[in-house]
Amino acid sequence: MSLAEIEAYVEEELAPQGGLWRDAWRRLRRNPGALVGFGLVGLFVFIAIFAPVISPYDPRAQNLLLVAHGCCQGPTWAHPLGADQLGRDELSRIFYGARFSLVIGVVSVSVGLSIGLVLGSIAGYLGGVADTVIMRTMDVMLSIPGLLLAIGIVAALGPGLWQIMIAVGTTNVPIFARLLRGSILSQKENDFVLAARSVGVPRRSILVSHILPNAISPVIVQGTLALATAIIDVAGLGFLGLGPQDPGTPEWGTMLTQVDRYLQSAPFLAIVPGVAIVISVLGFNLIGDGLREALDPKLRGRA
Amino acid sequence: MLRFVVRRLLLLVPILLGLSILVFLWIRLLPGSPAQALLGERATPQLIKQIRHEYHLDRPLYEQYWGYLTTIAHGDFGVSISSRRSVAWEFGQRFPATVELALAAMIFAIALGIPLGFLAAKRYGGWFDQVSLVGSLLGISIPIFFLGLVLKWIFAVKLGWLPSIGREDVLATRPHPTNLYVLDAIIRGDGGALWDAIKHLILPAVALGSIPLAIVARITRAAVLDVQNDDYVRTARAKGLAPRIVDTRHVLRNALLPVSTIIGLQTGLLLSGAILTETVFDWPGIGTWLEAAIFNRDYPVIQGGLLFVAVVFVLVNLLVDVSYAVINPRIRVS
Repeated sequence: MSLAEIEAYVEEELAPQGGLWRDAWRRLRRNPGALVGFGLVGLFVFIAIFAPVISPYDPRAQNLLLVAHGCCQGPTWAHPLGADQLGRDELSRIFYGARFSLVIGVVSVSVGLSIGLVLGSIAGYLGGVADTVIMRTMDVMLSIPGLLLAIGIVAALGPGLWQIMIAVGTTNVPIFARLLRGSILSQKENDFVLAARSVGVPRRSILVSHILPNAISPVIVQGTLALATAIIDVAGLGFLGLGPQDPGTPEWGTMLTQVDRYLQSAPFLAIVPGVAIVISVLGFNLIGDGLREALDPKLRGRA
Repeated sequence: MLRFVVRRLLLLVPILLGLSILVFLWIRLLPGSPAQALLGERATPQLIKQIRHEYHLDRPLYEQYWGYLTTIAHGDFGVSISSRRSVAWEFGQRFPATVELALAAMIFAIALGIPLGFLAAKRYGGWFDQVSLVGSLLGISIPIFFLGLVLKWIFAVKLGWLPSIGREDVLATRPHPTNLYVLDAIIRGDGGALWDAIKHLILPAVALGSIPLAIVARITRAAVLDVQNDDYVRTARAKGLAPRIVDTRHVLRNALLPVSTIIGLQTGLLLSGAILTETVFDWPGIGTWLEAAIFNRDYPVIQGGLLFVAVVFVLVNLLVDVSYAVINPRIRVS
């Protein structure tokens, strides 16, 4: 064996086994940051699902006895995270708030992702006029800073949960459309596409079963990071008072609107929902970063 | 170079037209009719008809759009419903406050982010690098309004070192020719006013600058790592140049190219983040202006404000592109 042959042999031996996804998963498991991320998101999802079971109180139940001696009661054994200005248990509100953040985040990213996916695929695969019209529209949408676009939409639709989901989802559309279009354009020239076309596979199934699966990995990374941004943006809209109009709704951002005047007496009312937001956002960011590294083809095959 | 600038300017036209269509259609999105939205509770069929006629809402859509386009081309952005003042005038009054805040935030982010990122790359894999990585991840995970509240609690409420709201002492009656308070104080040579303005700037600027800081540090680190082992850097080291000179003239200078693009991209974040930061610190800029407009259903202000901010964002990006071409000749050619 020549040296070159040995090198080729070694490369082959070290080459990843079992495809991109298994390889990515293997690398993701060795990334301590991503593991912490999975832990945080797992905790977040667990709390969101089991909120009714693990919450010690009804998140909307007011116990005015707790505010009889001024606002607000700090942490005690009965209320581990204290109680808010209306005597509602802060811990239960945080637990239920996880539901809102998770659902709003997932729904808005899914809305943005699916619309962006369709638009991006059409633009990237068809090209021509469709491409120009779609992408110029996306450019215009991107020329308004994200959160501001969301605020504009909520200002038009009126405050509320659904409106926030639509608004944050809309801001995600151009991001995903652009990403997928670029990804498809780079896949389109590949030999396997030419092969599929030459054996007569219809255009739509080339797109769906050959191009999309290969173009999807940057979308997954972006989707995870978009969840983090969506949770922050949703909380921001809630903080501005554009969230659910029922003030009893335990949404984390909305919980932060009222606390300004209690900063002196009850700073925990600001810190508790804020930390909850940071933990969930951090979780998604860690997973997103880990996925980006794991799915990076340049790093494939390495530990 | 001139060709590049002209081409970029021409690209601006469709974007601005698209923006005007979007903002024009925005008011048609309103629940009910725009006339009803403008009138609110006072809406009677008679009044609605009158308003529809007055604002040409009974004309076909394309005619309405053309009318809108010609009025804004004449610099007429309508009149605020709540204050009865021109939207353009109010924007002019509010905008400098946001500019001052955004600039301060950016200066904070750059002045701290570039050295941090550089040091992290120099100590690649070491504890400083690890800490700065975790720190920058935390930086992008903390909502700015929450950071603002925490800063306010620690430095204004607990320690009492810095003021918690506004741009200057509430009792101050100083003239503000430029509406940039720091600049005003410098022009007048008033040390007390300068300190007052800076004191009010610190907390909001740190809150708003937190995300750009994290991003600038991260990109600087990545760029320095990228450049550090390039041939010209090795040559420079091999010929015995002092490490400090190689670091500043060869490594940092080239690493700052990607950093400068990122800094430009951050303006959008700064503009939208300003709404939240200004709300926390009661900063009388565009953010609190828009926030109040949303609550008062002051649609002309929201419509005009969105358009203004988007145009500012587009122009800043253009400026960044052009200055990037000036710094980096490779862009101009392609």
